[in-house]
Amino acid sequence: MTAPATTAPESAAAPGPAAALKALYVYGITPAGVRVPRSPGVDGSPVGLLTESGLCAAVSDAPPRLRPRRRDLLAHQAVLDELAAQGPVLPMRFAVLSPRTDTLIAQLRSDAAHLTRQLDGVRGCVELNVKGTVVPGHFADLVRRDDGLRTLALRTRRRPDYEANVRLGEAIALGVRREARRAAREVVDRLAPLAVRTVQGATDDEQVLSASFLLRSADEARFRAAVAERARACGDRLALSVTGPLPCYSFVDPRPAPPAGR
Amino acid sequence: MITYDDEVVCAPRAGTLYDVLELILDRGMVIDVFVRVSLVGIEILKVDARIVVASVDTYLRFAEACNRLDLEHDVRSKTVPEMFGSPVAKTVGRAGARRTARSLTDKVRDVLAPEHEPAHDEEAEEPEETELRPRERTERTRSAQRPRGRTAARPRDEDDRPRARPRRRTEEEDR
Repeated sequence: MTAPATTAPESAAAPGPAAALKALYVYGITPAGVRVPRSPGVDGSPVGLLTESGLCAAVSDAPPRLRPRRRDLLAHQAVLDELAAQGPVLPMRFAVLSPRTDTLIAQLRSDAAHLTRQLDGVRGCVELNVKGTVVPGHFADLVRRDDGLRTLALRTRRRPDYEANVRLGEAIALGVRREARRAAREVVDRLAPLAVRTVQGATDDEQVLSASFLLRSADEARFRAAVAERARACGDRLALSVTGPLPCYSFVDPRPAPPAGR
Repeated sequence: MITYDDEVVCAPRAGTLYDVLELILDRGMVIDVFVRVSLVGIEILKVDARIVVASVDTYLRFAEACNRLDLEHDVRSKTVPEMFGSPVAKTVGRAGARRTARSLTDKVRDVLAPEHEPAHDEEAEEPEETELRPRERTERTRSAQRPRGRTAARPRDEDDRPRARPRRRTEEEDR
């Protein structure tokens, strides 16, 4: 059994010897040997690394009070970006704390095989997130193709009143959304073959597509070109945007292993 | 027909906070022996980050646009954004058209001025829940919405109880 090695950045008073009982904010897990992230962590705390069993956990002192502040969300993201630039990283969800340093070390040790496997699963890969929002357009096209809508439109025109207009507008909104959803399905069908894995996120009336794609870094350009092609093809129904490359948030098992009998 | 320039719609970007919010909050690893701090205000954040297009106001706008169509003849080439003017050139600042063509406009605006959000961040640190609203809001007519002033956004201690959210319409319902 190896003794836990604590690599403290020169600037940081990060987990010192007396800190075994202190709660730590955990950013992510990487293979051992990464450089300490320079970005300040949550609440401005310096980020340090804890090394155990060939793995590193990027941590900082847990802030006394954790809230989803813009500044802190961005800090979480920035630390992970920096780690991801060096190689594979398993990003933690925002606001994950390890109650004590030794708990974290023990977890790394007991779950090392599984964590290492997961790191291998995202090695050389990035996550790109594609979102699509409804473009309220081509009403004429909708009305022309949909007899029900056309009838409703003509009736509303003959007898225009508030209620009728609301009903017509709602029917159009439904049509617009349906078109956007159809386009979104096409987008996923085209893009998924380029990706190692695909995960779809929650959608709503406005944002009808939110999908994450795990891509080999080498395929990123090809993927972007494919998104651009889709954006041209369906831009009158669905506005696409790509975010990334990101740490692979969507491609880690959210709960890697049950706590080892503790 | 509007053409959608891929430079505009698909410009690679580091990602505004809004774009990665759901990933940071809902994805990523959680380890059982670790503690996930329960976050107050999260539901509010997510609700605010989204805009509800389904409102009577929008419906009336859509109907108005539809009423201007020539229904007797084939008018296939017209699109509503076109009738409102090109989204990039004219929509911004025209209150009426703005709301209807909003999603597109916002996308474009985000791409054109992606640094807008972070820059704004440095100044206003305090109203945290509020500052996470990246886009202007439209009036909501949905009854489920809570009033959303500072009071509503204020966290109540460590209590993380679920709050009213806009109803998620499933794909099936739309068929």
